[in-house]
Amino acid sequence: MPETKDNRRIFSLADVGRSIQKTISERYGSLYWVKAEMNKLNLYAHSGHCFPELLEKKDGKVVAEMRAVLWNSDYQRINRQFLDIVREPLKDGIMILMQASIHYDPLYGLSLKIHDIDPAYALGHLEREKQESLARLRKDGVFMKNKSLPFPQVPKRLAIISVESSKGYADFIQIIERNPWQYHFEMDLFPALLQGDRAADSIIAQLNAIRQQLTAYDVVLIIRGGGGEVGLSIYNNHTLADTIARFPLPIMTGIGHSTNETVSEMVAHRSAITPSELADFLIQHFHNFAEPVKHASRVLTERIPVLLGQEQQHLERLAGNIHLSVHHALRLHGEQLAHLEWAVRSGALAVLQRKRHILDEITRRLQQAGKIPSRESRIALDHIVRQIELMDPIHVLRRGYSITLSEDGKAILDPASLQKGMRIRTHLAMGTVDSTVNSTQPTANKLNPDKN
Amino acid sequence: MDTEDKYTYTQAFEELQRIVSDIERGEILIDELSEKVKRAKLLIGICKSKLTDTEENVGKLLANLNAEES
Repeated sequence: MPETKDNRRIFSLADVGRSIQKTISERYGSLYWVKAEMNKLNLYAHSGHCFPELLEKKDGKVVAEMRAVLWNSDYQRINRQFLDIVREPLKDGIMILMQASIHYDPLYGLSLKIHDIDPAYALGHLEREKQESLARLRKDGVFMKNKSLPFPQVPKRLAIISVESSKGYADFIQIIERNPWQYHFEMDLFPALLQGDRAADSIIAQLNAIRQQLTAYDVVLIIRGGGGEVGLSIYNNHTLADTIARFPLPIMTGIGHSTNETVSEMVAHRSAITPSELADFLIQHFHNFAEPVKHASRVLTERIPVLLGQEQQHLERLAGNIHLSVHHALRLHGEQLAHLEWAVRSGALAVLQRKRHILDEITRRLQQAGKIPSRESRIALDHIVRQIELMDPIHVLRRGYSITLSEDGKAILDPASLQKGMRIRTHLAMGTVDSTVNSTQPTANKLNPDKN
Repeated sequence: MDTEDKYTYTQAFEELQRIVSDIERGEILIDELSEKVKRAKLLIGICKSKLTDTEENVGKLLANLNAEES
């Protein structure tokens, strides 16, 4: 109750407070839809009540700030709705559209009492943030950067950002370590928070740590799993997505998202729904490398013996051909020699025969001429004719002499020109004899002084 | 050193593919054959070890190969 003193109305603080309270409650009697940023949720675990800090920012500066209260029962209900629809719990730093009543309390001051929070608005806002993130990455030209990196042929050395206790991580490791082809991977775990407000910074910190040892790894993996599909909006965080996009090694994500990919997943080199899928993918890459190597091995063991066999056959054929050719050439040559031999011999005989014919002719003509009546000339002619007749070798032959010719058709005078085994032809009065030399002996008194 | 290794095991793989292709097409001279087969076996060894062995051992095999050449 105000008191009066010295003509001044003096109010107690509580009076002021109560007056404001009355005015406020009269002026602001209903529920209002208010949008604001819930900077802090301030959940008090033991009571379950929340005392959020609300603000409005304009151009990065705070232009309004107010406290709010969210009672436990309301909080529980709203939070469940958020998990259902937004896939995020109520947490620090989200934009909300709330239905609130305005209160002033003399002790606690001005506050909004939150009755409801619209999940669709939060969802819409998250979606808008995501789209803004995407647009900025595209504008900066980094959206495809990680995706454009060449993927190693054998992704052997893995840097894994995960949590040891994560089921997704455990599944991944099991598939990798128990692969039946004994493919060997080398893995290093870089533990980080994968959910909640500090997740983005935590992951970024580990990415920076990996950057210090780039040459030790082939691929980076971000693995999460087993926690359902809640709490993934941190992967829409622009800074995180930007770090992933610009990272110099291919990054693969397996963070368990089946609908509505997050920005980080979209810029990563590859995103899989489950970590197990990533493990299978990596093993498949090893297969792709192993197949041609196995094929090479097979070619060596199968094709080489065939090639060698073919070469061998080829050589054998060539050798056979040479043999035949030489044989053929020798035979031809032999035939030619035999022919020459025969030609020489028959030629010699022909000469002899021609000479004989000439002699016969002369004799006949002489005999004709001998019919001229000159007795001396006839006697002289008869004499000449007889001499000539006597020169005919046939007389010599008829007296038992023979002519022996060598293989090359020459008359043999000196046995020294013969060798054992040589073929000789002997002309007799009534025919010829072919023989082979067994042995030779020169005569004691040498009739022919031209002996060599 | 590691980037060299990354480069070299892929080189080994590519060289192996070339040799295999030549053999399959029958385009290897008979006197080259034994040398190429020997080389191919070495390369297969490196590729197989890249799959199933530790990175350290792969590095050793590659070092041997390079030492042989130089």
